[in-house]
Amino acid sequence: MAHHHNQGSHARPSRRLIPIIAVLFWSGVVIVSVSGLVHAQDEVRVDTQNCLLCHRYPGMGRFDEAGVKRIFYVNDLKFANSVHGKLRCTNCHVGLDRIPHTDIKKVDCTTKCHLKEPSTEREFSHLNMANKYEASVHGSNQPGKAKPFPEDLPTCKYCHQNQIRGPVGGWWGTSEAMANETLSRCIGCHTKDQWAQNFYLHFTHRMRRIRSPEEIVDLCTSCHEDREKMSRHGLDTIDTFKDTFHWNLVKFKVKNAPDCISCHVPVGYTTHDIRPKSDVNSSINHYNRVNTCSNQGGVQACHPKATAEFASGRVHAYGTKARLAIGGRVDALKDIDETLLMERAQQEISEQEKLRFKVLSYIRLFYKILIPLVIGFMLCHQGLDLLNHLRKRH
Amino acid sequence: MHDSTTTQPVVSPDAMRGEIYFVRLNRSEKVQHLIFMLCFVILVISGFMLKIPAVMVQKLGAFGGTVFFYRSMLHRVAGTVMILTSLYHLFYLAFRPGGHRWLMDMLPRFKDVKDLIHNLLFFVNIKKRPPAFDRFSYMHKLEYGALVAGTTLMSLTGLLLWSEWRWSKFVLDIATLVHGMEAVLACLAIMVWHMYEIHLKPHKSPLDKVWITGRIDEEEMQKEYPLHYKKIMADKKLQAIYMVRENR
Repeated sequence: MAHHHNQGSHARPSRRLIPIIAVLFWSGVVIVSVSGLVHAQDEVRVDTQNCLLCHRYPGMGRFDEAGVKRIFYVNDLKFANSVHGKLRCTNCHVGLDRIPHTDIKKVDCTTKCHLKEPSTEREFSHLNMANKYEASVHGSNQPGKAKPFPEDLPTCKYCHQNQIRGPVGGWWGTSEAMANETLSRCIGCHTKDQWAQNFYLHFTHRMRRIRSPEEIVDLCTSCHEDREKMSRHGLDTIDTFKDTFHWNLVKFKVKNAPDCISCHVPVGYTTHDIRPKSDVNSSINHYNRVNTCSNQGGVQACHPKATAEFASGRVHAYGTKARLAIGGRVDALKDIDETLLMERAQQEISEQEKLRFKVLSYIRLFYKILIPLVIGFMLCHQGLDLLNHLRKRH
Repeated sequence: MHDSTTTQPVVSPDAMRGEIYFVRLNRSEKVQHLIFMLCFVILVISGFMLKIPAVMVQKLGAFGGTVFFYRSMLHRVAGTVMILTSLYHLFYLAFRPGGHRWLMDMLPRFKDVKDLIHNLLFFVNIKKRPPAFDRFSYMHKLEYGALVAGTTLMSLTGLLLWSEWRWSKFVLDIATLVHGMEAVLACLAIMVWHMYEIHLKPHKSPLDKVWITGRIDEEEMQKEYPLHYKKIMADKKLQAIYMVRENR
């Protein structure tokens, strides 16, 4: 009887606790959900057009006419942290007024974003950059003529992939402490945390290189190492860069290694306005070379003592054009039309460069003969010595 | 007494009192060789690291930058030490009696061409006996000549590359090309010729210690350098320089 009494007294407290635990649990769920929503509203732009009704599902997409799978999933949290995070969907995807969308137009990056650009008080647009880009080597329109093979030219999205802003990790990602101190001063007056963080990231985003030197080289060489594509435009392929000492630093991931941007877009230039060597505004034009090589005023101060003689040389090793200019054969061009390359080679490779290329070729040839001769003789000599010794031993 | 035409060495009377050794490298030459050898190894490794393909270098990850920094520093330090050692060697040749003897004995002679042909014929069993070599055979002289030429070229081109900002790109292109090609030649020559000739010949295998001890025994002296042995035995002054007795 005592046993039964004891069992009854143990059961009673746990039974009373169950409703209390249940209330506490569900209260917690409600609190977390509500705070989550509030938190989400803080970080994510309110989806007033309710695009996320469909576009929030990871598998959402279709197969297009060419049979290519197109995914239209939008991770709203990631998007909110991207450089376009403050925009509404229809700021870029204009004219969508039917579901499912049958009137889809390609996004035009020069569209006005309806955000006021604070320095001019006008609606912001990428048009000024796009205009510069069109006039650059990568643009489809040169003054007075349209470029052949415009499909080869990189579009905005080829390089710009709506970068996610890095976390608040400091200037150049090396000093979280400095970032925290700076932000805390901003938030002193600009009390809305999220706004202050966004502004800070907008500003510091430009203070860091998103791509490493190796990634820059990979991006540029994705077109510039394509021999067929380059031949269509009369250009050498960029494997000549990988014959240089500059590439060694990139290869070993040395900090501030010289990549394509270091010379073709040094301090004071923009990637949207890369010009040909013949253009006086180009960073690789003869007149601007010393400044480019010394790269003063930037994070990379590469050759501060560079003289005009040092800077005047060819940085990329002699490539296809030089070989064609001296009447040589290029086996890699076997199935490729080399007419334009030949034409450009005759125009661009001066007599002095042809002579220099010949001198280097002869030196290379000299060693290609000398090394096998010398080592061949040594191998024969030592081989005979060894055989003689083995014969005498037996 | 000795007889360079017989295969059996004739033990000199002095061997009854103690062992005789013959000096091939004196102390200064041993030290010069040791420093030069160490520099060469460091230069080859640190230099050819630049030729490692990107797919292998990627495995270093973020550590690559640090590796590159130390590689560059090591290469320049070893290069500087090698140049200084070479300059000392020139001083040694000009102003030290040992160096003067080295230079005179190392000068090429017509006998060396005859010895080369004779030796090749001996290898293929046409000649029954090897040529009689003096202190330095044609093999030593060829190698020493290659060393002088190679070190001069590498030093000059290396210094040009180190002071790159002063020179035109054309000069730097030539320097880069010659520096790289000469490095390949030097490295292969050391591996194929020097390593076999001096260290790895069957009767010297696994490792000839002459570069450490600086000397060889009488038997080897009679066999390898009979003409020099004759000269030493006939001249007390040369005996004082090249012979070492170790009492039992």
